[in-house]
Amino acid sequence: MDQVSFRGMESANRRKTYLLLAGMGALVWVVVFSALTYFGQSTVGIVPIAVGIALISVWGSYYASDSIVLKMTGARLLQESDNPKLFNVIQEVVIASGLPMPKVAVVQDTAPNAFATGRNPEHAVIAFTTGLLDAMDRDQLQGVIAHEMSHVGNRDTLVSAVAATTAGAIALLSDMLTRMMWFGGGRRNNRDSNGNPIALVLSLVVLILAPLAAVLLKSAISRRREALADATAVSFTRNPAGLRSALEVLAADSTVVHQRSTAVAHIWIESPLDARSVSKLFATHPPIEERIAALKAMENLGPSK
Amino acid sequence: MSKLLIALAVIAVLILILVTFYNRLIRLNVAVDEAFAQIEVQLKRRSDLIPNLVETVKGYAAHESATFEKVISARAKATTATTVADVAKADGAITQALRGLLAVAEAYPDLKASSNFLLLQEELSTTENKVSFARQFYNDNVRSLNTAVKTIPTSFFAPIAKVSAREFYEVEDPQSRQAPNVKF
Repeated sequence: MDQVSFRGMESANRRKTYLLLAGMGALVWVVVFSALTYFGQSTVGIVPIAVGIALISVWGSYYASDSIVLKMTGARLLQESDNPKLFNVIQEVVIASGLPMPKVAVVQDTAPNAFATGRNPEHAVIAFTTGLLDAMDRDQLQGVIAHEMSHVGNRDTLVSAVAATTAGAIALLSDMLTRMMWFGGGRRNNRDSNGNPIALVLSLVVLILAPLAAVLLKSAISRRREALADATAVSFTRNPAGLRSALEVLAADSTVVHQRSTAVAHIWIESPLDARSVSKLFATHPPIEERIAALKAMENLGPSK
Repeated sequence: MSKLLIALAVIAVLILILVTFYNRLIRLNVAVDEAFAQIEVQLKRRSDLIPNLVETVKGYAAHESATFEKVISARAKATTATTVADVAKADGAITQALRGLLAVAEAYPDLKASSNFLLLQEELSTTENKVSFARQFYNDNVRSLNTAVKTIPTSFFAPIAKVSAREFYEVEDPQSRQAPNVKF
């Protein structure tokens, strides 16, 4: 029973995010351990380098996420006088969420979609495509805005930055170490001291497969945050039907946002990548039918107090 | 010497626990105050819309004076309310009176088509939504505060922080009292 209510959904998705992030952390340790097994102590110095590079590259874009994403998507900031009705609906959700008023932007694109970004609620930007603003009625728009404000309130820009940093560090580590392997560095000095062949083969497999595992974990985290945002959106509006019918509009629409940059795919409310070509394990969003079914289950609970 | 250190450490930990729970309770209490202020801001906004709305409807439906009276008297009563229960009662009365006014407007196609009324209608429906979200946000905050005040361990610190359970904002509204739809 509690599994279907938005409160139950919220805590379940939060818990799964923590587990997945812990899995990410564990993966880093496994990679470092394998590197030490295979190459010996001399590789220790590589770890801070890989983590450092990943940190610098991800956290710069996290800190300036509001301006960078606006530039990448070609979104234009709106004033209240440009679209008073949209601002009314946003202000309603802002009151329901208790969050500060975000900046509002619009992307010229006929495909209906929306996203939220910004390093914290004070620097949040939520953006909508013109296609979405044309296609949605007030209740649907309210649902979409609540979903985006949930990303802001749940600090999903931060969560995905953490996931991207660890995945990036793992990819860098594995890349550097496999290169070292071809050049035959490191291992030579330790051949006598560490000769267990099974451990060596295992650590080699780990080093090769780790980046793949990291990307899978990153996608899984993104999917959990989308499901969480749907649940939090219902906690704001107490109206699962609005977001559900908005998602149905998105599901029925076959047009796709023009920029297919995979770098920002995870931030949209509906994945802009062609779902059929991407395997379910790598998807940044849960299947839209699954999200609609979860919201329908909440509707059937009746009005929640 | 070591006994003294242990005693100091225990005292430090105890103070830390006290400060943590004390601050948590105060924060929750302040959040309830802020949420209530938000309700009052939105009620004020709605109250400010009423004269304009009544004037507009009057222009097309002058003889519906009983409905106007109801809205205007409900608005006047709301200005004197201060406690949560009184504000909620006055709020409910205005909500109902406005609903009556809009029902009257339904019967006048000229009025419904006028641009002024359309503008007011959008303003009114967004304000009505804002009022009800502000109520919901207030009640959510009261819920968190009351849970903290009544559950262990925060309940031990409530008297020290002089924080007690707060009143929910409950609006008398016949429409929301209807039994929920049951679907099978």
